[in-house]
Amino acid sequence: MSPSKTVVRESMEKSLFGKSTKSKVVERLVFALFRLSTYFVLLCAATIFVDIVYKGGKTVFRSEFPFLNVEFLSDSPQTLHVFEHQGRKYEMSDSKFRSFREGIDEPIVTETYAYSGGGIWPCIAGTLLLVAGAMIIAMTLGVLSAIFLSEYSRPGKILNAVRLSILNLAGVPSIVFGIFGMGMFVLAFGWNVSLIAGWFTLAFMVLPIIISASEESMRAIPQGMRDASFALGATQWTTIRTNVLPYAMPGILTSSIIGVARVAGETAPIMFTAAYALRDQLPWEGLERWYDLFFQGVMALPYHIYVVSAKIPQNEYTSRMQYGTAFVFLFIIAAIALSSILLRIRMRKKYRW
Amino acid sequence: MDKRSFKSRYQLACNRKSFLGLTRESALKGLFGGNAFVSIVVLGLITLFLFKEGAGFFGQYRDSLLLYRQSGLEYVELMRGQQNALSALTRYLNSIRSRQVEKLAEEGYDFQESRAITEESEDFFYDFEDLAVPLREHVIEANEILSAARDSYQEMQNLSEHRKSLLESGRQDEADALEIREIDFALFFDIVKSRESEYIEINENLIRGIEEILPSVPYFGDAELQAKTERFKELAEMFIEEVSKFEENVLAWERARSVPISEAFTSFIFGKKWVTNSSIQDWYGLIPLMSGSFLVALVAMFFAVPLGIGAAIYVNQVARSLERDLIKPYIEFISAIPSVVIGFFGIAVFGTLIREVSGWESLAWIDFFPISERLNAFTAGGLLALMAIPTIFTLAEDALNNVPLSYKEASMAMGSTRLQTILRIIVPTALSGIISAVLLGFGRVIGETMVVLLCAGNRIEIPRFAEGIGVVFEPVHTMTGIIAQELGEVVHGSMHYRALFMVGLVLFLISLLINYFAQKIVMKFQISRG
Repeated sequence: MSPSKTVVRESMEKSLFGKSTKSKVVERLVFALFRLSTYFVLLCAATIFVDIVYKGGKTVFRSEFPFLNVEFLSDSPQTLHVFEHQGRKYEMSDSKFRSFREGIDEPIVTETYAYSGGGIWPCIAGTLLLVAGAMIIAMTLGVLSAIFLSEYSRPGKILNAVRLSILNLAGVPSIVFGIFGMGMFVLAFGWNVSLIAGWFTLAFMVLPIIISASEESMRAIPQGMRDASFALGATQWTTIRTNVLPYAMPGILTSSIIGVARVAGETAPIMFTAAYALRDQLPWEGLERWYDLFFQGVMALPYHIYVVSAKIPQNEYTSRMQYGTAFVFLFIIAAIALSSILLRIRMRKKYRW
Repeated sequence: MDKRSFKSRYQLACNRKSFLGLTRESALKGLFGGNAFVSIVVLGLITLFLFKEGAGFFGQYRDSLLLYRQSGLEYVELMRGQQNALSALTRYLNSIRSRQVEKLAEEGYDFQESRAITEESEDFFYDFEDLAVPLREHVIEANEILSAARDSYQEMQNLSEHRKSLLESGRQDEADALEIREIDFALFFDIVKSRESEYIEINENLIRGIEEILPSVPYFGDAELQAKTERFKELAEMFIEEVSKFEENVLAWERARSVPISEAFTSFIFGKKWVTNSSIQDWYGLIPLMSGSFLVALVAMFFAVPLGIGAAIYVNQVARSLERDLIKPYIEFISAIPSVVIGFFGIAVFGTLIREVSGWESLAWIDFFPISERLNAFTAGGLLALMAIPTIFTLAEDALNNVPLSYKEASMAMGSTRLQTILRIIVPTALSGIISAVLLGFGRVIGETMVVLLCAGNRIEIPRFAEGIGVVFEPVHTMTGIIAQELGEVVHGSMHYRALFMVGLVLFLISLLINYFAQKIVMKFQISRG
């Protein structure tokens, strides 16, 4: 190729592609706008994360060994006492303050801040109990129902109606499930504010989500895989066990993890069914009979956040507790959500047809 | 291989073990079917239960409204309406006076001097206030008579219920010992009604009095105060005209009119007041809550729709694949943030931030800035937008993803730019999916509880839409918020309890409606991709 030819070609390309026309300028502007809106959303969310992680981290972490604020994670919420004694300023949770006061004769004037001392261990324990029970109920009912709907039931109008109503129920606001749980379990069944009432309320809240997501992932499996199994003489259950469930597992798992995040994160359904604002004992302490465990209210992280942010004023002492709780809660939820996203990405790569 | 096993090789059913006449297959099928049955029954039960608990509301509400009418308290309330209008007028007058004092202070007068100046016009203010006294006393007296009658009626009702339960448990003597009187509302009402002529006389005096003193409105040299007094004169004249209307209503009021169940229904759906634990009458009107809910949702959608759809188009059509792989999980991650954490952020940071920004000098030209409340519809709406964006984004992105590649290729082959392809081909094709994404995002916002409970300000009043855009900075209350706030303290089976169930039912129906339309739109406008 002679040098002159190359020059000609370059200039041709320039005139064809390099020319800046009006529509290209507009395109670049509009794309920049789209990009801006996307990154604006990401920035807003990041602001919340950073704010809570930064301020909450101060409560949860320590600069020296063991690097974690053990009292915050293992104690129960208490009143915080702030006082000056012999020229030194003290901040103490209620139980420590009492033992401190015993050694001293003179009266101590303190400022008290409700909920701001101690830690949040009962809330963490309560949330874990709530999630475990609700998910056991919801998963058993949900996955087994989904197997029936997808594999055994005959397609037709009734099935479509059932499917549609389940899908619709998945979008019902959580407070509606809360008011239902309150009316049904707490009042009509007389379970009062208790773990078991919370379990059922939360389980029914996520049940439509789990059924529809699990069924969706089973129906997505090509019919040919089932036919192949039947053709070899397998029974229906064998077919489901070997050719349906393994491939539907990623979908079922992600839906259930999303369910866990939802159950752990919702406040409205447990406000009236399971959560106490303050309770001295841990759920497994002071039980007279073993089944009393189910019929007692518990503290829960989301409700605790609501209580400390709505019922007590904002100041330097209370905000420590507020941000610390929010941080721990966000951390738990984020871990669950992240695991679901990672799991799905991995599983998608593994199973393909 | 013996003969028997050979024979059964072709009869597969013989190999199956059965227990109680069930083979393993049918037992499993029964297990799955049973579970499905339980789930469906339970989910149906939720709907039924909401209806059952809510339905009793209208009967109770009707009885309450009937009592309100029969006891004649409604009649008093009509007069009180006039009294309230008058006291609004007095309040306006007082605002003029306090403004005058403020102005004098600004101009550098000390207390004694400004006192001397304000004293000149003092007589007028006192005279006007005195005019309101007879009406107020008349209303208070009537109210006392009638509410005493109503209270003793309710007491008697409680007693007769108590007696019934005593009789049921066979304690005849105790039941007989209870003294239950009949309360005749007509008797009490006649006392009040007989003084109607007094009321008319009071009104005549009132009008005459206002007309007499109106020309002697004090003159302030200041332009602002003068404008205010002019406005006051207008308002006073309007009030005088209204008096006859109030009078008409009072005279036309009839105690015997019954309350049909439809009235209970309309005064719930279209009622403008939500008042509980009132000494006169509880009102359960949905409008303040519903308008609050929709106002918050509108604010949220105002931000969420452009941002969510814009981000979906960007990620699906414009972004490079690495960018896409990072942004998509990130936005899904946002949807997992619990609402109570977002609400907490609103209380701790966002609300204060908005109020501070509204106080900036550079924004002073906006007439409703600076705002006074840090928790208002805008605070809640802005945060809810962040919760709606992941919903809208995910579904809209799915819809864009479903547009066949050949559409895009055909458009590009015709020489259109990428932007033209996106706006003219891809977005219109995916429009049904995008609309249903927006609808579902709206459903999410309407049903959200914790953010509005924490950040919307919780004032039960209809937002003043007449004030224009500034209305979004008013504190509001919402349907979800009211349930969360009041359900904890209601008595099981009371009217208030059932009213909250009705609100829950309305929410339930709204969300069903939204879901239904979202699905309908997707199915109806789906293009064939043959």
